[in-house]
Formats: sequence, structure tokens, C-alpha cells
Amino acid sequence: MANNIFFNSLPSHDRKTAKRLVSPAFIGIWVVVLFPLLYALYVSVHDWILSQGGIGPFNFSNYPDVLKDPLLINSAKNTVLLTASVVVLEICVGFGLALLLHNKQIKLRNVYLFILLIPMLMPPITVGLIWRLLLHPDLGIINYMLSLVGLPQPTWLASPVLAFFTIIIVDVWHETAFIILVLLAGLTSLPDEIFEVAMIDGANAWQKFLYITVPLMTPTILVATIIRMISALKTYDLVYILTRGGPGISTETISYYIYKVFFVALDIGKSSAMAFILLIVIILMTLVLMRVMNRVEQ
Amino acid sequence: MPTTKVKRKFGLLVSNIILIFASLSILLPILWVIRTSLANRLIAYKIPPVWVFKPTFDNYLTIFDKYPFQDYFMNSLIISASASIVALIIGSLAAYSIARFRTGDPWLRLSMLSTQMLPPIALVIPIFLIMNVIKLWDTLPGLILAYLSFNLPYTVWILISFFQSIPVEIEEAAMIEGCSRTQALWKVIVPVALPGLLSAGVFNFILNWNEFLFALILTGRNTRTLPVAIASLWTQQGVNIGAVSAATVVTILPVIVLTYVIQKSLVRNLTFGSIK
Repeated sequence: MANNIFFNSLPSHDRKTAKRLVSPAFIGIWVVVLFPLLYALYVSVHDWILSQGGIGPFNFSNYPDVLKDPLLINSAKNTVLLTASVVVLEICVGFGLALLLHNKQIKLRNVYLFILLIPMLMPPITVGLIWRLLLHPDLGIINYMLSLVGLPQPTWLASPVLAFFTIIIVDVWHETAFIILVLLAGLTSLPDEIFEVAMIDGANAWQKFLYITVPLMTPTILVATIIRMISALKTYDLVYILTRGGPGISTETISYYIYKVFFVALDIGKSSAMAFILLIVIILMTLVLMRVMNRVEQ
Repeated sequence: MPTTKVKRKFGLLVSNIILIFASLSILLPILWVIRTSLANRLIAYKIPPVWVFKPTFDNYLTIFDKYPFQDYFMNSLIISASASIVALIIGSLAAYSIARFRTGDPWLRLSMLSTQMLPPIALVIPIFLIMNVIKLWDTLPGLILAYLSFNLPYTVWILISFFQSIPVEIEEAAMIEGCSRTQALWKVIVPVALPGLLSAGVFNFILNWNEFLFALILTGRNTRTLPVAIASLWTQQGVNIGAVSAATVVTILPVIVLTYVIQKSLVRNLTFGSIK
């Protein structure tokens, strides 16, 4: 608060009111976020396996140990691959659909938009359940449809590659709506005049897209990409409901693996250390997001 | 020029076909689950599927009869609403203070953004350990407190820009007329900010309603929420497709209605106010 010139220039009763208004939230954040995090930090440098009793001795080597854990590395690889795949696919599909929906000549655009936005705020667990029903090897409608046109009917969640592919597709089904909504809002707020000038100058549709739409949309796309990346790095629900990390460990994400170390192996110390490493990665990404958001506002 | 006209018509046709295809890929899975929820046991399992049948509400009766889905529903409702209301009350005061007086600027404001980005798995482990000690595990207040960990920073963050967009002048005018600051806040600012407050509250409610990881770890027999309940429905005694479908429909329906209510402010909500 030291260099907050505006705040310090306020009359003292205003400063008092200001602090009083903030204090419930401030205390709340301390109780439900900061204190638990500090406790997790404390736990993360101790040996503690719940099945063997209470908290054990100080042990900083939890951090180097988990970084060498091949299972954590496996889950990190999976998470990065998953995040990269879904973000690229969702941005491409979402931008494409947003561009189509931006065309005022399409009469039913509001109907399309409403339908396309439905999955956005559905609980991830229900999204996973719907797709498990559809993809059920014996009872699912999708394999029946495939059999009608003579295509092979895979057991979708039984092979590592197909299971990973399925998670990606379901995630795209679920999350592309977010990209469509955000990019469409961005497209709508672009100034019409620039396009009119370009048309007078004889630019064709492709040139307008490449030299006006894309550069003007870049900050919005960047914000959408980073927000999606941050949330994709935390993917847990879809993996839980679709594959439980399987078959084997082929679809375990970081969050899912930490959950397993915590809840199945009951290793509180190591799982907390892993959670902290994930937390640092996410905070770094959030810092990037803040910088980009600042630039968008300017 | 007829060629450009033909070209444009062709372009429109292709656009419409793509959009229809995309819409169907969203609608058909949902319709299929609704259809399955209305089928009796025999029809639900039948492959090749029976396309025309007399709908029955047996599956809905089953989930409320054989499983206590009304309890899960109430748990979800109480927890989601309480956390979102508490966050709204506490959070709006803080947001007002930060917007008007720049209290703790910029650290307080920025910490609100980074807090809501935290991976839930990092928070849920210590919260579980603490709640075990203070006996809040598997209680409604326990999960409400846990949900405040993301509701509260989100509410503060999103409402700061709302309060900033309200001109200081109306507030000052009220104070010149003899209102105290608290009166000015309640009589002038709150009514103007009401749409923003409501959309933040509803958005938090939806996040809580959908939340899974906290609920999975912090609830037991007494406080299970809908997502946890339907996730466990899949593994119990094989799969009762009809019941799973009915439970899914019951869980999704309130969210779709609420999403429709706040659709105008969704972009702001989802992008943390960075895109309006």
C-alpha cells in the first residue's frame, strides 16, 4: 500500500471506511485461500502418509523427488498434449464458427448461436456422462450408427490412443462455445468504418480478413487462448468421468494424478508438493494473462 | 455481375450447411439423452434403437424414489446459493472500496484475479485436512466455505469494474443532499449496480452447481451434491442408462435456464471482465 498515492491522499475517515469495507473479504480470503495454501506449503515439505499416522519430519526433498517421479512426468506430458490439442482445435473451430455467425446475411444466426452455446455452462460431469452413454461399446448409439455404414466399431475408452482422442473430442464439444462467444463479441465490436474504407480501396474478402480482421482480433484471441490454457491445464472432471486416467495411466492429467497420490496413496506430503508445482505454473500463466489484459484495455 | 452473386449465394449455402452441422452435433447428443430418460428399461437398452415409443417418467420416479435425488438436489441448491449470496454481500463491499478508494491498489485487486485461477486440487488438499480437524467435513457449511475460495475473489474482481463504471457524481450528489456514505451506497449505488450484482451472483451459482472436485473430496453421505451423485450412479450395479439420463437432465436443466437469464453479461463474466 506504500506507493498508493490516491489512497493516501484521501481524508482519514474515507480511508477508514475503505478499509472497513474491504476487511470482511480480506479476512474471508485469508481463511479460505491463503491460510489453507500456507498450510499446504508447510505440509509439502514434510513426510506425511495418512495411513501411517500424523505428520512426520521436515523433508524438503519432496520437491526434487516428485519432479523425478516418472508418473508425474507422464501426467505432465498428457496434460500438455491435451491442453495444446484442445486449445488449438477450439480456437480454430470457434473462430471459424464465430466468423460464420458474424455474417448478418445468415438469417438464423441467433438460433444457431443459441444452440452452439448450450454446452458452455453444462456441468463437465454431465457432459462426460452423455458421451459415455453415446460411446458405450454395446449400448451406445454412435457405434450402432457406425455399424450401419459399415465402419469399424471401436471400444472408445479401452485403448490409450482412442481414449485420449475421445477426451479431446468431448472437451472440444464442451468448451468451443466459450471461444465462439468471446470471439463473436470481439468481432461485433470491430469498427465498421475500417471495413468500409477497405472496400472502397478495392480489398477483397480474403484481404479484409487477413489485413484487418486478424490483426484487430489478435488481442481478443490471445485473451481467450490464455484463459482456456489455464483452465485446460487443470482438467480433472472429464478425465474422472470418462476414463479415470486409464487405460493404465495413459490419460492421467496432473490434477488427476495428484488426486490419486492424495486419495489413493494417501501421501499428503508428496501430493501437496505436486499441487504447489502446478500452482506455480498456473500463477506464472496468470501473470502473462494480466499483462495481455492490460494491453487489451489500452 | 451474375458470377459474384452466384458465388455469394453459394457461400451462404455452405455457411448454413456448416452451421446446421455444428448445431446438430450439439443438439443430437442432448436430445438423445432426453429421449433415453423417457424410455423404459427395455427400450433404453435396445440396439438397434426403437425410434417411436410411448414416453414414461419411470426413470425420474426411480431417481427420486430409489436414490434420494431430492436430497442431492437440495444439497446442491443450498450450497450453491449460500456460497454465492455470501460472496455477493462480502465481495460487493470490498469491490466498492477498491473501485472508489483504490484500497490496496494494485496488489489487492490483482490478488483477486490470481486467486480465482488457482488449481482446485492445490486448495482442496489442505482444506480437506483442516476440515477434518475442525469437524466440517461432510457438512453444508464446510462446502459453502470451500466454494467461497473461488466465489469471493471472482465476485470482487468482476464487480470492481462495475462500480468503476458508475460515475462518482451521482454518489456525491446524494451525499450533498444529506445522505451518509452508507445511505448513498444503499440508495444510489446498489440499485444502479443491481444488474451487475445479479449476473455475478447467478454466474457464481452456476459455477458452484457444476463444481465437482471439491464436492467429491469434501462431501460424504450427508451432503453429496448432484455432480458427485450422478458420477457414482454410473458405477453402481452396472449402468441403469435410463436413470443416469434422467439424473443428467435434472442436473442440466437449471443451468440452461440460468445461462439464458444472464446471457448478455456472459462474455464479461467468462473473460474476467477483459472483454466487454
